[in-house]
Amino acid sequence: MAQEAHGAIYDLLAVRGVSRRDFMKYCGYVAATLGLSEAAAPQIAAAVEKGAKLKPALWLNGGSCTGCTESMAQVDTPDVATIVLELLSLNYFETIMAAAGEQAEKNIADTIAAGNYLLIYEGAVMMGEDGNTLLVNGHKGKDILEEAAAGAQAILAVGACAVDGGWIYAHPNPAGGIGVQSFLDSVKVATPVVNLPCCPTSPEWVVAMVVQWLLVAGDDPAVFLEKTALLEKKYHDNYRDADVSLLYPEYIVGSTIHDNCPRRGHFENGEFVTEFGSEEEAKGYCLYKVGCKGPQTYTQCPVTRWNRSVSWCVNSGAPCIGCGGLNWVDNNAPFFKRLSSIQMGGSLGNVQPGSVGAVVGGVAAAALVAHGLGMKAAGRIGDGPPIEEMKAYDRKRMAKGGDK
Amino acid sequence: MARTVIDPVTRIEGHLRVEVEVKDGKVVDAWSSGTLYRGMETVLLDRSPEDAFYVTQRICGVCPISHSHASAQATENALGITIPEGGRLVRNLLEAAQFLHSHILWFYQLTALDYVSPINALNADIADTYALAQAAGTRVADFGAVANRLKAFAENGQMSIFSNHYWDHPGYALPPELDLIATTHYLEALEVQAVANEIVAIIAGKFSHPMTSVPGGTAFVPTADKLDDILFRFLKVKEFVDTALIPDTLAIAPFILDATTYGGGCGNFISWGVFEKSDLVPENRYMPRGFAQGLKAEGISPDDVTEDVKHSWYSSGTGLNPSKSETQVKYEEYSTEGKYSYGKAVRAKGLPAESGPLSRMIVTYLAEAAGTDVTGGAADVRTPKMLIDSTLEALGVAGKPEVLVSLLGRVAARNLEAAYVADLALVWVNELVAALAGGEAKFWQAAEKDTGAGVGAWEAPRGSVAHWIDIKSGKIAHYGIVAPTTWDIAPRDDNDVPGPMEQALIGAPIADPERPLEALRIAHSFDP
Repeated sequence: MAQEAHGAIYDLLAVRGVSRRDFMKYCGYVAATLGLSEAAAPQIAAAVEKGAKLKPALWLNGGSCTGCTESMAQVDTPDVATIVLELLSLNYFETIMAAAGEQAEKNIADTIAAGNYLLIYEGAVMMGEDGNTLLVNGHKGKDILEEAAAGAQAILAVGACAVDGGWIYAHPNPAGGIGVQSFLDSVKVATPVVNLPCCPTSPEWVVAMVVQWLLVAGDDPAVFLEKTALLEKKYHDNYRDADVSLLYPEYIVGSTIHDNCPRRGHFENGEFVTEFGSEEEAKGYCLYKVGCKGPQTYTQCPVTRWNRSVSWCVNSGAPCIGCGGLNWVDNNAPFFKRLSSIQMGGSLGNVQPGSVGAVVGGVAAAALVAHGLGMKAAGRIGDGPPIEEMKAYDRKRMAKGGDK
Repeated sequence: MARTVIDPVTRIEGHLRVEVEVKDGKVVDAWSSGTLYRGMETVLLDRSPEDAFYVTQRICGVCPISHSHASAQATENALGITIPEGGRLVRNLLEAAQFLHSHILWFYQLTALDYVSPINALNADIADTYALAQAAGTRVADFGAVANRLKAFAENGQMSIFSNHYWDHPGYALPPELDLIATTHYLEALEVQAVANEIVAIIAGKFSHPMTSVPGGTAFVPTADKLDDILFRFLKVKEFVDTALIPDTLAIAPFILDATTYGGGCGNFISWGVFEKSDLVPENRYMPRGFAQGLKAEGISPDDVTEDVKHSWYSSGTGLNPSKSETQVKYEEYSTEGKYSYGKAVRAKGLPAESGPLSRMIVTYLAEAAGTDVTGGAADVRTPKMLIDSTLEALGVAGKPEVLVSLLGRVAARNLEAAYVADLALVWVNELVAALAGGEAKFWQAAEKDTGAGVGAWEAPRGSVAHWIDIKSGKIAHYGIVAPTTWDIAPRDDNDVPGPMEQALIGAPIADPERPLEALRIAHSFDP
């Protein structure tokens, strides 16, 4: 590595009061978020040092509430994270950019014309009223996405709405909100899309993907797809009446919330919260009986946590509402009821022949059923909500041998 | 006459178009248009009340807590639930954290760049910057380091979020040292607003989209440890409000005093009231429910609200109260003569009404002047009247609250409100500590019936929010929402009377129609 490049990054760190030690620690954290071993930290640090030229990026808002942007403003250890984020030249980012109106729009056109940019999309793609349910300066939101997506190297679909339409997609979907991948399928744009779940999405996941793209994959779409452990999930888009296949980072959606939940021990012991604001909640008991969707929601929320790891939903006393799942409102509401016929949101599978990602759903779900039945036999669940049976999907996975 | 269009209006939540007609350097007509429709009220039908609590907060990722509180209150009102004292205090703290986050983010990240030029900050003399900061009583930091950072950024040539803006507009008139101070605080504010949201995360799991203020009270049970975590964060945020937000406002104001002469708008102010006292009476909230016309106080009820759709992209009924609202979307070509917005023209007593901090501060100021207590009996709370009167004095317009009805008044009111809320938050933490020590604190109350109709009318940082719900056998039969921005960016009504933002734009000077900075400032002053 050239000495001057090496110096530049540490100068940058120094003016922000960040020590090399802090920097290496953060790189280790990024490595962990990417599902890499701590040993990858020096490799990431070296890659960050190399990134002198800013990477052009567009952040477009579709049918959104701006919650994912807000979530980004809560990044962990901001001084270090912003170094990574500042590796991007966010030429268009409605919520924070200085320019407005035609001056702002020019930034999109210039960036597309120059090429070699990343696209980050927040919100649903609005199809209703012939695409007029979202207008920006007279252009349909979906048309802006189509143009920006076609020229992008890759796309991050951030948050539930960008993944599959989110709550907007919920029945009867009067505004015609759908996900980015489904829309791009319909207009035959093949730019790769990586989906980051939850409502809102987690800023750490976005940072991790930026690092993965720029630094681990060296800004190369082919290397990115090769080196990133991705899982595929399929669902049927009812609005378009079409099957859609989504790619997710495996580390983020590879295990259930229940698997990593710090309240899991209370579940094992049959210690449940049955009423909000109760003594059982003060003791941190399991929220399964008040509707927690942790057992069927595949995200790493309990690991990353939220707002600079201060807390997360279950920790605050609320049951998981499954916002990391597909069609999360229709599949999880009513949120305070345990559903005995929950949809799992399609099949999980590993599309990357070269990666070693395992599908963990089968064994985890089977274990859950075993625990549930065991406790019921011991009389610890009593008249609680019915324990769900094993899903056909899980049986199939089990038959194939589950985890390897 | 020339039409100037700002679309998209950036640095806001959502999608907004502003169009103005400029004649002889002044706005003579204006149109504000919401350009996104998502259909939430329809999605909620036949679902459970708790589903409305979780879905409606997704209207807005910047003020989700207020929507969740309005939704929970609507259900509580419909089903006759009285939330326990512990639930009241926890909700007040959660709402306060969001107010502080929102106001700090709004001033530094969303509107400051209409006044402050980080490019001009490069010309600052560092020693003079320290001298100015001390004279202005605003917080000092390593101004030299920030200047170096800006320099490195500018020399790189890729301007990222600062690209292609008209920094050479004559409206950027601050001395470079003040630009450097404000830019430094822009960066610090990013950290402080995140601290405010850590309070949200402790109480409600995460920001945005909180989890715990469920119908009946709260699912969050505070412990001594958690209250300690909350208290020190409130102290940190309050310190920033007192040492940066307020002094910066006062330091910048003298350079934009002409902004007291325009941008006022319709002069009708609505507040549903926010921050509950123990009696849970809306007219007795810390910031009480009320209405003001010409700075004269009146009462207001959710029954006084109607929504016109003559100029909105809906084919359903017009002039309806939201308890009976219909939302049949029907897009037609955008036309300022015809239909031009997905926003409905919401009216109070038939009048356009501004909502937001300026409205709340005026309604509270008038109530205080009439003898209403707005401290809950606590000492050491800077009240809206104290804050407004001292600011008017500092700006040389003592005893003239009518000056508030302007662009600068709207900007200042928001920041002054942050000081009041920061003081109140400490009062509520202490009340909660006392309640926990007493051992009798209750946080949640179950419903005893599953049918009824009700309304939850509350305030978000950016303005008045109300949810109307009709529950039949545990399922939602009707849901109506009037969000804060619906009030402020309302289009013309059935009588062609312009909405609050439209009226605020009319009469404003526009130095350069190609670069309509003044219109952008007015739009941002509403925090749309």
